[in-house]
Amino acid sequence: MNRSLLLVVEDDPEMRSVVSFTLRNYGYDVREAATGAEALSQIQTRTPDAMVLDLGLPDIDGFVVTACVRQEHEFPIIVLSARGEEQHQVRALDSGANDYVTKPFREGELMARIRAALRRPVPVAERRDLNVGDLRIDSTQRRVFVRGKEITLTRTEFDLLDTLARNADRVVTHRQILRAVWGAEHVDEVHYLRVYIKLLRTKIEQDPARPTRILTTLGVGYRLVSAETLS
Amino acid sequence: MVTQLPPLNRAFRAYGLAVGCVVLSSLAAELVRPYGHLADLAMIHLLGIVFLSLRSSVRTSVLASIVSIFSFDFFFISPRYALAWSDAESIVTFVAMVVVAGVVSTLSENSRRQEQAARATAARTQALYELNVELSSSRDAHQLAAVTARHVSKLFAVPVSVLLQTPEGTLQPAESERDRRLSQKAWLRREFVKQSAPSGTAIWIPVVGAHSSLGAVGLRPNVPFEQESEQGFLLAACVNQLATALERVQLAGAVRRTQLEAEGERLRSSLLSAVSHDLKTPLSTMIAAGSALIGRTGEIDPKAADEILRSLVSEGERLTRLIHNLLSVTRLESATVQLRRTPESVDDIVLSAVERFNDRTRKVPIVSDIAADLPLISAEPVLLEQVLVNLLENATRYGGSDSAIAVYARAAEGAVLVQVEDDGPGIAEHEREKVFEKFYRGQHAPKADGGVGLGLTICRSIIRAHGGKIGVRERTGGGTLVEFTVPFAAAREQFSREASLDP
Repeated sequence: MNRSLLLVVEDDPEMRSVVSFTLRNYGYDVREAATGAEALSQIQTRTPDAMVLDLGLPDIDGFVVTACVRQEHEFPIIVLSARGEEQHQVRALDSGANDYVTKPFREGELMARIRAALRRPVPVAERRDLNVGDLRIDSTQRRVFVRGKEITLTRTEFDLLDTLARNADRVVTHRQILRAVWGAEHVDEVHYLRVYIKLLRTKIEQDPARPTRILTTLGVGYRLVSAETLS
Repeated sequence: MVTQLPPLNRAFRAYGLAVGCVVLSSLAAELVRPYGHLADLAMIHLLGIVFLSLRSSVRTSVLASIVSIFSFDFFFISPRYALAWSDAESIVTFVAMVVVAGVVSTLSENSRRQEQAARATAARTQALYELNVELSSSRDAHQLAAVTARHVSKLFAVPVSVLLQTPEGTLQPAESERDRRLSQKAWLRREFVKQSAPSGTAIWIPVVGAHSSLGAVGLRPNVPFEQESEQGFLLAACVNQLATALERVQLAGAVRRTQLEAEGERLRSSLLSAVSHDLKTPLSTMIAAGSALIGRTGEIDPKAADEILRSLVSEGERLTRLIHNLLSVTRLESATVQLRRTPESVDDIVLSAVERFNDRTRKVPIVSDIAADLPLISAEPVLLEQVLVNLLENATRYGGSDSAIAVYARAAEGAVLVQVEDDGPGIAEHEREKVFEKFYRGQHAPKADGGVGLGLTICRSIIRAHGGKIGVRERTGGGTLVEFTVPFAAAREQFSREASLDP
């Protein structure tokens, strides 16, 4: 099996070597870049399977790098940044990054995000059965099964679950969900989301007071957890 | 100021009144003629003239009296319908009418003028008083400028610009090139500047304080305007009030800056000592732990190595939280803090904080009990989570990892009430206010645990910024209970499913 190629873009040499070392330990091929320009030229020569990107680069801002890459490429971008404020996370995700890990980070967290990112999200066009852990979503018939048992969802609840499931294990931002489910004119109506997440949790969580499937990332969005990372 | 009719309109009314009086007195005389003497008819005309003179200028009254004489002569003195008279009696009547008109109108005009002057003085005093009241309740220079501009503009019924000296020592630029030049001149030379041009006369007067020129006030009067006139004095009085108010505000600002600097200095020194003592503790552990492993990975028992690495990571995490708190203090204390509030569900925030603790090395899990169907709150979620994390961290620190810690949330008067309680040693009554002060650490605080006495200070800043309250009580049965409130989101941000038409 081909080993995935990851590009690590980080200006701090210590951090870069720690991240690369960790990734190689997990069996990935790793290339390194210290600046945004270097990263973009490396991508030109050989497109990686995913990129781990620091936002605070000396030459080009990480948000700009993300936007540049997204013009031509679809591979996942995982932002690894010391900027922990949620508005940076939201901005990175909305501008095309697939995930966001804040420094300092734990190895396990970064690896889980990279694994999730490497499983491509399912495009809307390819409607088929989605299996996320013990959830099965039949997109054509709009039916949902929890551990083999069918549950009834309203139209909005279904759309919400479907959106999260197609991006399983990734944080989907409030705006991304609102645009997908309620439409572009409702991207700021976070309160819709709060209410429907609660309703959905009562239907698919074992203990709605302690959700384990739909997790909240405060100020950023929601993440549907697949069984793999659930354990 | 008294509203004045346009000159043409005013003249028209005055002459209309005069003609009316003459015609009416002649008509009245005509009615009385069959029953009275000629002298009576003369009296009726005289009455009309007196009535008119009380209300009109000298010129109008005298003119009207002459017209009245002709009318009297023409209609009533025989031969009627002819301008002719014979006897001396009539001439005395005529002269008397003109003299009465002249005297009465002069007197009444004088008293009218005095009344007008008194009214103008009262209006001016009132205007200055109102300006003064509003200026003394304004707190910054721009507000003062706006208040003055509004008042002066109302007084003179034209737009007014108030330009202030900027902190860089220049004058705010006026809109047009001409005004820029004139305002600069007034401001720099501290003198009244008046320039007439086809586009209108421009007036600029300096705002002069005790030590410097503070700005300039400009307007384009729609009536002739002199510096040495009633209007000129009124404008000068307004501008003087502005100057006084500006100096008051500047002085208050200077006092506040000095206070802030002193406070900042105190904070800096406490911060330095906190950094030197408390940030160094976890760093020392980390460096010691890491260096113990360098070059000896083969020799050390894997279990011991694991232990060392674990403490390295947990010290690093503690350091992260500490730095996070220090950063929060900086952000919350800056004057321009703006919360990014969104409608949030209390469950998400409480769970997010609680799970972070239950992840770690707790022996007894933290219990959370959140009332069902709480309305959404309006909050910056990550800040509220930080409040809970700080409270839970305190509970853990003072109660130990096996203490019973619980978080409750329920509705209370338009807000959510969140309580965090532990069964630790509790906080003595006299300390319950002090624990919220910066760098204050309770008497039970362990000496070297990496805490710097900022946690509750930050909690209070965050809760206050959200418009809520926070306080410490004794838990029933011993221990500490910290409770805070956060207001619910506005009704339009609450979303009822019934209203959403979702099949």
